[in-house]
Amino acid sequence: MLSNSGDRGWLARCRWAATAGALLSALALIGAQTIPPAAAPQTQPQSQSPTAQPSQPSPNQASRGQTQPPVQSVGASPKPLIMIDPAHGGSESGAVLNPTILEKDITLALARRLRVDLGGRGFVAELVRDSDVNLSTDDRAAKANAAHPTLYVCLHATSESGGIGIYTAMLAENGETNGPFVDWSTAQFSFLPASHAAQQEIAAAMQKSGMPARSLTAPLRPLGNMTSPAVAVELAPMKADVSQLSAADFQQNISAALANGIAQFLSSSGAPR
Amino acid sequence: MIPRQFLITVTLLFALTIAMSVYVWQLQRHEIGSPRPTEKTEHVAPPTSGPMEQVTVYVAFDSPGELRAQSISIPLAAGRQQRAEGLLRGLISLYTAKDSTHPLAAAAEIRQVFLVDPGLAVIDVNSAFVEGQVSGVLAEELTIASLVQTLATNMPGLTRVKILVDGKEQETLAGHADLTGFYDVQQITEVVKQLSAQ
Repeated sequence: MLSNSGDRGWLARCRWAATAGALLSALALIGAQTIPPAAAPQTQPQSQSPTAQPSQPSPNQASRGQTQPPVQSVGASPKPLIMIDPAHGGSESGAVLNPTILEKDITLALARRLRVDLGGRGFVAELVRDSDVNLSTDDRAAKANAAHPTLYVCLHATSESGGIGIYTAMLAENGETNGPFVDWSTAQFSFLPASHAAQQEIAAAMQKSGMPARSLTAPLRPLGNMTSPAVAVELAPMKADVSQLSAADFQQNISAALANGIAQFLSSSGAPR
Repeated sequence: MIPRQFLITVTLLFALTIAMSVYVWQLQRHEIGSPRPTEKTEHVAPPTSGPMEQVTVYVAFDSPGELRAQSISIPLAAGRQQRAEGLLRGLISLYTAKDSTHPLAAAAEIRQVFLVDPGLAVIDVNSAFVEGQVSGVLAEELTIASLVQTLATNMPGLTRVKILVDGKEQETLAGHADLTGFYDVQQITEVVKQLSAQ
């Protein structure tokens, strides 16, 4: 129980706080009225703005069949960012294409070329790994998702000469979605229409360059974990000669065709350069 | 003075030791010189009993990367589970043959197939199966689509398939195809259409 003198002090403090609060509220109201109308939306939370996150289409949009690919998210670089993921690395060498050619080396070499080619076309490209390091598929997805790319491209290589494969995620159905939280294994689901658009543009660019390309779905991680349009490209020799994969001119042709396809996809999606 | 009996005993023991050493040395020489028995790589699948049946299997062709329906005649048991195992063993025998269109190791084997109602099949393959698998997105997808579609075509009601290796879950088949989840039969049917229409 409080004493009388204590009560008086407490009441005085309350009165002082109420007066100060009223003054601050009045000042805030006056200040809000003086903010120019154009600047006012910036003070609103992003979730209230319909254009706050154009790169994150809701699952409902996808289910309604809206195939408009998303563009760069607010707050990131104004230029479209393409995240290139050279598959494998470190002790995980991927396919042993021949005794001297490992998949991890081919994918890294191609990724570096592609970065240069995309840069030359006015895009920003980053590599998920730029050295011979081990990265799990979860690490790759987390790193790429954190960068909010406009497109994620995963690179693989095979010794089988069945044409170049352009893959999108094989997802049967959307996982559990709870507000902003999506199921990790099916995070790609709402981006599949945009991923298919990218797949078609890349396959068309490959065909245009005289390289046979096939569009398929595949149970390939981390495609299903990506929260952006995502494709995987599997490089394959044109004939049975695996050494072609490491040839500079062959890689350059593939890289140029890939960059053309990506540029076409970004152009059709309205992404700025 | 050393007793005579003791001397005789020691001499006999010494002679015995020498003789045993010579015998062991000869045995060792014989063992090194003889040819080593070759490791048997063929798998020993349990014999399937039952009448011969004509079934449709989906066979992978690495070149040009296709999946084709093919009719083969194999003995199939009456039981549903034994039938599923027989089907896949018949399919695998095509891949382990010398002129295979999608080679797997000679020791590749379907260990068991578990049919879990409603509509779930669990295929358990051995480690030789994955060790002999060509690494690549398309090559691994062909293997999985071949297994799943063959089973689904001949076992009505199947909706999902899970693949284990030596009874355990493995991350990928050979570095690419994801084995951590369940394969949806409808999705695989779509993939088979894509792989057949090339």
